[in-house]
Amino acid sequence: MNRNRKRTAAAVLISVVIIVLALYFLQRLLMPKYMTDVVEGAMVAEYYDEEKDHDVIFIGDCELYENISPVTLWEEYGINSYIRGSAQQLIWQSYYLMEETFTYEKPDVVVFNVLSMKYDEPQKETYNRMTLDGMKWSRSKIADIQASMTEEENFLEYVFPILRYHSRWNELTWDDIKYFWKRDKVTHNGYYMRLDVLPAENVPEGKVLADYKFGENAYYYLDKMVKLCEDNGVELVLVKAPSLYPYWYDEWDEQMVDYAREHNLKYYNFLKVTDEIGLDFNMDTYDAGLHLNLSGAQKLSSYFGKILAEECGLKSRRGEAALEQSWKEKCQDYEEEIERQQKGWE
Amino acid sequence: MKIRKILAITLSVCMMGCAFAGCGSDNAAETSKGDAQNAEDKSSASDDAETKGESKGYVFETGGVEIAVDMDMSTLEDKLGEPVSYFEEPSCAAQGIAKLYTYASYEVDTYPDGDKDLVASIILKDDNVATAEGIDLSMTKADVVEKYGEDYEESEGCIVYAKDGMKLKFILDGENLAAIEYNSAVLD
Repeated sequence: MNRNRKRTAAAVLISVVIIVLALYFLQRLLMPKYMTDVVEGAMVAEYYDEEKDHDVIFIGDCELYENISPVTLWEEYGINSYIRGSAQQLIWQSYYLMEETFTYEKPDVVVFNVLSMKYDEPQKETYNRMTLDGMKWSRSKIADIQASMTEEENFLEYVFPILRYHSRWNELTWDDIKYFWKRDKVTHNGYYMRLDVLPAENVPEGKVLADYKFGENAYYYLDKMVKLCEDNGVELVLVKAPSLYPYWYDEWDEQMVDYAREHNLKYYNFLKVTDEIGLDFNMDTYDAGLHLNLSGAQKLSSYFGKILAEECGLKSRRGEAALEQSWKEKCQDYEEEIERQQKGWE
Repeated sequence: MKIRKILAITLSVCMMGCAFAGCGSDNAAETSKGDAQNAEDKSSASDDAETKGESKGYVFETGGVEIAVDMDMSTLEDKLGEPVSYFEEPSCAAQGIAKLYTYASYEVDTYPDGDKDLVASIILKDDNVATAEGIDLSMTKADVVEKYGEDYEESEGCIVYAKDGMKLKFILDGENLAAIEYNSAVLD
């Protein structure tokens, strides 16, 4: 009798293990891999493989991960930086990524791009997934999901993504097998490189808005960022990248200038110094002024690196053997990608 | 015997799991395509409405051409003529391209829906054009209320009339009108 019970218990246990494993593998297979076409969904997870000893962490949307090149910052100023960026990253997502980052490391400076102040409420599941699915489970991720979900989403689908992605079975491609266990790197320390050129023409003026004030929720998370950085002894720097569109209103800029002054923060609106940076929107953008290409990103990084070194007091770390070695490999990858993209055109 | 039953149940559950993977493909497309899917659902509804000759909400008329939100822009381009300027706004992470057609006194913005571009909004920019009901930017909030009635929603700096899912928005500068927008439900 006793022996029978043990056999039954073992069978139940084995069954549970089989079911859990089957669901796990199925889930892993069905989740989007973001390795081709839409690579932006793979960016957030890449950070975890990094040696976490950065001087500067950039946190924000495409206006950072397409406009700043950490390789340039290293090569010209010896600054070790990383971009924790994702597509349409909303301010509460930036906050929780920042909170999570501080559990791994305390950089000297965190740079936040203020375009996302224009959003006061959750926007689109597509973009939420690109930021949230890549995060490791933590208190920050849970809070981030809760802050980000649209009305149509539910928390369980984030805990068990198979509930969301089960219908992808008929869209599976070879990539889903190829990247089942391991993903390729899609960025260079968070930077998404583009070499192509599409001059900025006919960039529209901003539409008339009913209300130019940033929302309460956006300010709530900006306040939390300020406090989080203060509590962790990290300098928070606000920037507005020199992207010509979406339109950045003077009324928005004034609010950021005032906020920075009231909270004793540095705020740089690079749209106001595009000539000083040397940006040529006939050559330095790949999508008509929305994002910079490599040449534009290198110019902006070169300009901003000087600010980080001189005004934020960041010292060059050239000469640190391990870091030099790590960056040597990264710079090589970077050069190889430049070659790859150039060859792609030929 | 019991063990066999348990294993049989396990197998059944796994098979159900596979079946579950196959269901519901029309309500949860791949995330990266989710927005297009969403837009498609909404536009299908408006297509249906058009075929049945039902109302399309408030429409804007210029030079004998009627423009409603969610209309296929390809059916309008020739009729509206060459825009003063044209701009494409690709969204981050390849989620489609919004297109902005600027004409002399108004602007038409589109959103992608499969291989079509549907009208997301029509924006009246000066008083050379007016709504079909006769309101232009030289008028006041009081004129709007007199023409469209009291059934509107008011929020900071604007009043909004909803009809058939779309919204007609009057943006105010004090008591004067600063802009008039026809907005599709996809913008909500």
